[in-house]
Order: sequence, then C-alpha cells, then structure tokens
Amino acid sequence: MTHAATRIRSVGPREVRARLGLPDAMTASKKTDRLDEHFRRFIAHSPFLTMATADAEGRADCSPRGDYPGFVKVLDDRTLAIPDRPGNKIADSFGNLAENDGVGLLFLVPGMRETLRVNGRARATDEPDVLTRMEVEGRRPVLAVVVEVTEVYFHCGRALIRSRLWDPASRALADELPSVGEVAVEQYGLDVPPEVLERRLQDGYRKLY
Amino acid sequence: MTPPTATPADAPATAPTAAPVQATVVDRIDRVAEDVVALTLRGTGGPLAPWEPGAHIDLRLPNWLTRQYSLCGDPADRDTYRVAVRHDRLSRGGSEYVHRFLRRDRPLPVSLPRNHFPLLPAPRYLFVAGGIGITPVLPMLRAAVRAGVPANLLYVGPSPDAMPFAAELRAALGDMVRVVATRSEGRPDLGALAAELDEDSLVYCCGPAPLLAAAAQVFPAQRLYTERFRPLARTFGPDTAFEVLCRRSGRTVAVPSDESMLDALTHAGHPLPAGCREGVCGSCELAVAEGEVEHRDDLGAPEGRMYPCVSRARSPRLVVDL
Repeated sequence: MTHAATRIRSVGPREVRARLGLPDAMTASKKTDRLDEHFRRFIAHSPFLTMATADAEGRADCSPRGDYPGFVKVLDDRTLAIPDRPGNKIADSFGNLAENDGVGLLFLVPGMRETLRVNGRARATDEPDVLTRMEVEGRRPVLAVVVEVTEVYFHCGRALIRSRLWDPASRALADELPSVGEVAVEQYGLDVPPEVLERRLQDGYRKLY
Repeated sequence: MTPPTATPADAPATAPTAAPVQATVVDRIDRVAEDVVALTLRGTGGPLAPWEPGAHIDLRLPNWLTRQYSLCGDPADRDTYRVAVRHDRLSRGGSEYVHRFLRRDRPLPVSLPRNHFPLLPAPRYLFVAGGIGITPVLPMLRAAVRAGVPANLLYVGPSPDAMPFAAELRAALGDMVRVVATRSEGRPDLGALAAELDEDSLVYCCGPAPLLAAAAQVFPAQRLYTERFRPLARTFGPDTAFEVLCRRSGRTVAVPSDESMLDALTHAGHPLPAGCREGVCGSCELAVAEGEVEHRDDLGAPEGRMYPCVSRARSPRLVVDL
C-alpha cells in the first residue's frame, strides 16, 4: 500500500506553464534586488516572517520568526539581518544554511493583504554591532541570520483575501482546535493531565528573550 | 475533548501596560542637524499636561517601542510638545523609526511628562550641553533668560552641522552662548570654566558620558546636576535570586538571578511601564513598602521607591505596591 503522494499523478513544468499561461509584463518585471524605501518601510512594520531553507540534498524546511515590528534590521539596500531568539534549539535553519545558503522569506504586516517576498543567500553571524541593534529586554541574541538579497518583491493579496487571515471573525477557528496540552497527551500517550502540560507551556511562553 | 484552553495568541506578557497616555499627532518633522530631527506633537484631546524645564516624555512609537526624549519646546505652549531625536547608528529601532518611518499627521501617543532633572532656583546658572544633550537645557536657558537670571551655556559637539539649535542660540543669545566644535577646536577646558565659576552658580550638564565625567571632575558635586543618556559604568555584587510580594494582588513573584525584577514581574503578569531598562529614564518607578533595595539606577530613587529595571534586593524579600 502506497500513500497518496506517491500515487497521485504529476504534471511536468511545460504542462504547468501551458495550463497557467504567462504572467503579465509588469508582474514578471517587478522583481528587483534592492531594498528601496517601500520595501524597507514594509519590513520596519512587519512583526512576523517565515523563513524557508533547504539542506544540500534539497530537503526543505520552513520556520516562523516573530518579534516587535522592525525586528528584522535592514543594514543596507542589499542586506538584512534576522535575530535568532531562544526557541527549541533544534537549529534546522542554521544546519541547512551551513550546507545550502539559499533562503526564502515571506514578511507579513497585520492588516495588510499584500506580503513581501525576499529571496537571497544567508549565513549565521555573531557580529556585535548587528546583535546590539537587536537587543530586547536588555538581552541581545547570540546569533543572527544575515541575508544578502537577490530578489525582492511584493506578493499580491489574493491569498490573504481568500484566507480572511486578518478578519477578526477568523479567530474563532482556533476555538475548534484542542489545546496543545490535549494534543501532546494524545500524540505522545502521556499520563499527565493536559492542564498541567498547558500550564508548563504557558510558563515557558512568559519568558520570550 | 474538554473545551480548549485557547492559547492567548497575541499579547505576550511584555505588552505595554495601560499607563496614562496623551493623544497627539505628528504636526511637524524638521531636520535641525545632520542626524537630528525635531518633532512637533500636537495634542488632540485638549491642552497637554504641563511640564517644567528638564522634563521628558515617552513616545509610544507605532512599532511598539517606547522611547524617552526631553521636552525642548516652550512650557507655556500647552498645544504642542517638541522633542529632538538623534539617529543612533546602533539604533535598536527607536531613533531609526523616528528618522525613517514616522510620518506627519499620524497619531503618536505620549506619556505624561516626568522630571528627574528639575531646574532649581539659583542666582546664576552655567549650562553645559553635549550634542543632543542640548534638548533639556533649551527650556532651562529660556526660563533663566525670561526670569532675568544670569546664565551661560557651553555647547559642545563634533561640528556645527551636527549640533542642533546652535545657530539659533547664538543668534538669539549672543555671548551668553559659547559653541565649541571639538573636531576643529578640540575639547573645551572645563577646568578653566570651573575656576571662574561664581560661588553661587548652579551647573546643569547633559550630554554623553565623557562630558559628564569631565564635568564631575571639575565642578563641585553639590552644585552639579546631570542627566545621563546611558548608565554610568559601575560594578555591582553578583545578581542573586529574591522574592517580591505584590501587596495589592497578594502574589509572590520569584526573581531568578538571571532576570531583572522588572522582567520577572512582567512575566508573572504584573507588567510595568518600561523605557530605557538601564536605570536612567524612570518609567518603571515602583513603591517599596518593605525590604532592603540595592539601588543601581542613575536617577537617585526617592525614599521608598525603586527602579526595578536595574535595581535588585539586598534582603531575601521585597514588598511592593502592585
């Protein structure tokens, strides 16, 4: 018995292009490699991004990064830096970047339907001047990811419009999900009341830096 | 399944508290030196709170950061506040935001004025300002002139282009103001100034640490009043863990050795207004009812008060008014 991903038929690149048609000239030409004032303003107001990396074999990974708006520092019109805040210490992104420096970023601004796409080459740094600019609560991150921008452009808002992502009513979706504590108890077969796990998680969330 | 205890998805425990704010809009943004802009903030909810020379306010920037700036306008003007902001090359996001992204006509909530640098009555004054440290001194100087009290200003900066208000001050006050551009003229001789100082003069000094240190060496301590941008470099005993009993909520909060009391209280659900986190702005002032405080701020906490961003406890427990 094979799983669906191996059974479902594939469509090759030429076929994909034939089905979709071509982008219009403006869309095709909007990519640039410079962070102009508009891109910088977007980044300065963005508290959240996703960061996609892959290892040497192309095994891909995508992780969330978030902080106060402008937590990503634009160092010049080709360079930005993302602080590495305390997390699960798995460091998938750093592991990938050590093998393959390609990175894809998607910046979001709450309330804004358009998103910002930034692709480039990335590496880890501990440059003191960069880390100093990232201090929060008097704590500076130990590491940051420096990205040399190769492509930057705004992505149209259709996905966010269709997803109703910023519609306050959409938040009711979260009420239909079990708590993380309940999920953990079931997934790992733990003999602990979910509330205990939930409380432990909440305590952990109090300390963010 | 039991009803979910929904994880509060927004509001980290560090969210700013509901300290009193005044609504303003950004009325003007004027470049007043090569890396300094002056903001004129117009109150939108009636007259703005009164203030005295030396006072500062918190700006609550749209990027959720709170930053302190000295009021440099006219206290008699109750319609607007004026502050001047230097762009810090190593900005953590405050001055960079003001310089690059703040826009005219946008709302900008500000705190009530606080004053840790009040101008005391004296028969004459000497003001010493370094760079952007001119801001609290401007209204002091104007107040002295208006009251007919003899006053002199020594204004030190790297070059005239980098010194806000230097030309206006010279034009308006002539010889009362001496401007020294260190890049071309070198550092001024504060010792000579101190030697000429009248017995009854008070000295007010605001500027970068080296200027304050030089002033502290030559002027008599009991007549020198300073305001710092950054804390004085000092060493303290090792940080130890202690407990804080919050008198009003009845809760006890453990402060671990690797966390500030401000952060521990905030993380435990007692968020306090936080500004500099370095013991220089006074935003997080807290009343202490019991226990021995190890004061580490540069403000000089009033009796029964402390600044928990830097100060800790000498006793195993503090009782605070929270």
